[in-house]
Amino acid sequence: MKKWRRLTAFLLTAAMVLMMACTVMAEAPEMDESETVKIGVLVSDTTSAEALAFRAYYEEYIQNQYNVNFMYSDELKDSAGEASAIDNFIANNCKAVISLSSFDRPAQIAQCSGAGVYYAVATGTLTDEEYEAAKTNEYYVGAIGPDLMTEYQTGYDMAKYFLDEGKTKFAIFGGAIPYYTDMHIYRAAGMLAAMCDVGEGSYKDATGMDIIGKIYEDGAVETGAIGNVEVVGYVGGYDMDDAWFGKCGEMAQTEGLEVILAVGNGSDFFGAAKGEGVQIASVDAYADSYKEAMEAGTLNYLAGKFSASIGPIFMATYSAVKGYPIRDAEGNALALSQGYWVADSAETFNTYYAVDSSKEEPAYTKEMLDGLFGSSYDDFAAFVSAYTFDEIQGLK
Amino acid sequence: MELKSVMNRYGLKQKIFSIAPLFGLIALVVCFLAAATAKDLNIAYSMKNILNQSVVVAVIATGAIFIYTLGSFDISLGASACVSALVGGMVYNATGSVTLMFLTCVGVAVAIALINSVLASVFNLPVFVTTVAMLSVLNAVVLMLININGTGSQIAVPTDAVAGLNTTWFKLLVLVLFFAVCLFVFDFTKIGRLQKFLGGNPVCAKLSGINNKRLAIIAFVMSGIAVGLGSFLSITYAPTLTKNTASSVGMDVIISIVFGGMPVSGGARSRIYAAVVGAFSMTFLNQIMVMFNLNSGIGQMVKAVIFLIVVSLAMSNQRNKEILPR
Amino acid sequence: MKMTKRLFGIFTIPAAVLIVVLAVSRIQGVALFATEGNWVSFFRSVANVMLVTLALSINLNSGRFDFSIGSVALLSSVISATISIQYQLPVGIMLLLSVVLGAVFGFLSGLVYVIVKLPPIIVGLAMALFYEGLAFAVTGGYGVSFVNNTELVGFPSVRNYSLIIVAALAAVILIFDYTKFGYNYKALLSGQKVSVHIGIREIPNTLICYGIAGALMGAQGFITATNTGTIQMTLNFGSIGAMFAAFLPMFIGGYIGRYINDKIGCLLGAVSMGLVSLAYVRMDVDSSVQQIISALLLVCFLIFLNNEQKFKNLVKQGR
Repeated sequence: MKKWRRLTAFLLTAAMVLMMACTVMAEAPEMDESETVKIGVLVSDTTSAEALAFRAYYEEYIQNQYNVNFMYSDELKDSAGEASAIDNFIANNCKAVISLSSFDRPAQIAQCSGAGVYYAVATGTLTDEEYEAAKTNEYYVGAIGPDLMTEYQTGYDMAKYFLDEGKTKFAIFGGAIPYYTDMHIYRAAGMLAAMCDVGEGSYKDATGMDIIGKIYEDGAVETGAIGNVEVVGYVGGYDMDDAWFGKCGEMAQTEGLEVILAVGNGSDFFGAAKGEGVQIASVDAYADSYKEAMEAGTLNYLAGKFSASIGPIFMATYSAVKGYPIRDAEGNALALSQGYWVADSAETFNTYYAVDSSKEEPAYTKEMLDGLFGSSYDDFAAFVSAYTFDEIQGLK
Repeated sequence: MELKSVMNRYGLKQKIFSIAPLFGLIALVVCFLAAATAKDLNIAYSMKNILNQSVVVAVIATGAIFIYTLGSFDISLGASACVSALVGGMVYNATGSVTLMFLTCVGVAVAIALINSVLASVFNLPVFVTTVAMLSVLNAVVLMLININGTGSQIAVPTDAVAGLNTTWFKLLVLVLFFAVCLFVFDFTKIGRLQKFLGGNPVCAKLSGINNKRLAIIAFVMSGIAVGLGSFLSITYAPTLTKNTASSVGMDVIISIVFGGMPVSGGARSRIYAAVVGAFSMTFLNQIMVMFNLNSGIGQMVKAVIFLIVVSLAMSNQRNKEILPR
Repeated sequence: MKMTKRLFGIFTIPAAVLIVVLAVSRIQGVALFATEGNWVSFFRSVANVMLVTLALSINLNSGRFDFSIGSVALLSSVISATISIQYQLPVGIMLLLSVVLGAVFGFLSGLVYVIVKLPPIIVGLAMALFYEGLAFAVTGGYGVSFVNNTELVGFPSVRNYSLIIVAALAAVILIFDYTKFGYNYKALLSGQKVSVHIGIREIPNTLICYGIAGALMGAQGFITATNTGTIQMTLNFGSIGAMFAAFLPMFIGGYIGRYINDKIGCLLGAVSMGLVSLAYVRMDVDSSVQQIISALLLVCFLIFLNNEQKFKNLVKQGR
């Protein structure tokens, strides 16, 4: 009897394992590459180092590895430009749109889903309200990129790095703060929050995340003392006229200035700060111009996006187009944050740059991305969250 | 030889060249359709798309023809459209009325045009330079409006409020109605004739007792109405407005008007349809470029060459063999 | 004309601008020229504005509005910087290269104009698109960076900018006021048809004008590039903005030109604008306020210029 019971149990277990195996085999995603998939890419800035590096990764690596064809928008300056570009993609039978442009994301999602085209956000995130409205939309693939808290932390870490070195006199280049660009405001707020923490003071009576509201109120950063740290200069905007360059030069040559913290591309200060002994920190991408600046000692700290960081969102989009959307247990779209690679020396920069600029063995290779095809939300999230250089190299 | 003399006698050569831009548009449509068929494009969607992308420029450029006819041009049209749209958006957000938004868009654009025309005509300023100064002022006003609004980098009109107007029929209706009004004023009233006269020979027109200031004001008002309509159509298409809204419209208008065969010196050869032909021609050309997914730099170079070739052909009857055009 | 009246006409505007900016900056408690950097900034601004003003006015005075001058500056500086970096050329050679390439691209713009015989505004638009696209294609969109090259980025100084200003001004005065080409240029400017009828060759004259304007813009592109050590790309007419800053100094130059050589008038116009620009820097004037002030200055000056006689009559009546 006992023998029979054991045999029955064994057979039942074997049958269950077999059934599970069959189920898994039946659901194992298959990457059918017989048909070329056209994907439109919305770009608001076609000439920035970051946008060019992303484009090179898609066109010179991904396009060679998968049967996909990327179609790029012209430089987009407003939401009407975004709508026109999406119309162009739809007319050209694109199956999906990956957006690096953020003038009106809800409108982009509505336009794409209305036409049955998948839509994904690269190097950015939706606001909480936007995500709530879009998360169950079957055509919304999701967003992967630095969220605003990551931007805040990036600014904080940047300032903290120099504060820990004993620097006390800072200048801030505010980039698009006068135009109320969220990520620039959050980065600047992070910088000021670090100064408040280390300098034991406050910025306009605010500390920590309260500083964000203060910058929104003014559309600028106010100079002055923050405890025993001081913001000795500030320039915002991208006017690129004589007065603006004059202001940049004046800021770089402020007496006693030790560090210029740029919320975006700080390359306009390279010439002005040269020979002044001023250190520069920037947030941008791993580009050739920064390599030179790092080697020359003109640039001392870079929080940069790596070009392959847009690999996972491509795979999520590709997977959705092929019928394997990546969703959480409630059926919600991806919402994952991804940070920057931080280089504080030429050596580190060059190590990162070598991988980032490689078209044979980039940070995210085909083998790594293939593992994400039709994967579970958790596996996908775990993969994306390991974004530091060492973590990614460890996955290879 | 005989054919040549017949053509000259009846002015046929002149007539053929005057409609060359129309042939250019037809050629571009044919090229587009051929490429679209070869590339398996969604042609029905493309046509709707082409209308969407042309209508704002076509409307504004049609109004601007009145200024161009006087031999002047206005470089501040894009900035004016942006200010009108932003103020219109703010009025909607304050009142919830689409009608008020529409009236504000038109009112603000006409007011800006009037300031331009008053400066130009009353103070005898060169129109182009006045509009350069106005461009600078309007760009500053845009930043101030965004600041005043205090909601970050944009002024957003709810999509639902204008979704009903974001249709092919509404856009076509606005374009056709406005074009019909402009056609009537331009070709069938004294105002149009006097404007062509003034643009063609300002000295003679002045000696004939024509009130150039009044005509300049009318031209700017027509252009202002067009900018207002254009900014309203912009809102219906993309209701999230930023400092860059309609920023490319200023240059697009100039290119479209020229592409449509309008002489930049104005005068009797001015054609009201040049704006619509030019705007649609440019969009068809852009669509062909999009289909071939050309790299930004190379694409822009190709566009420049095609632009020169088409305009060269269209204006081949307007050349003076003796001296260079100015 | 009496010497006092002439001196008054020459120096009234720059002196008035200087007095106003000094007064306003004193009220604000700011010294206009506090550091060496302020002097460098001022001279850079003067050099930039003067070069663009001269380049714009050479053709505009003849009724040719050339939208492509900004793109000539961009393209010539991109190519000269790329060659200089590759062959490690000294800064003087890079400047020379930039000027020569600017002249070549300007000449090409002119060549297209005389071949297609379209209004210059149309050719200018097309060439601006073409050159921007070419600069983008040459650099793959990445622009050029030479922040490592200490000689190139070490160029900005009062002495170097002064040398460029003097050399450019001397060359332009020599060419336009003391050569046959210059006399023909003036003849064509005042009577195009008559000049052609008496045998002046308009096409070569026009081509040289475009070439000279291009050379000036090559120098301007060089100044902009060596200021930051980077050249960033621009598309879709992004390069034409540079031109708009030249209108006011051009009109000021035209006014001063009644009393002295009009090119020196352009220099004094540029000096006036340089002072205003430095005042914006030193008083940290907001960008939107700057735009409004600059536009108002332009409009007010034009109103004065175009209604001068009426103003004079009013003053006389007042007396």
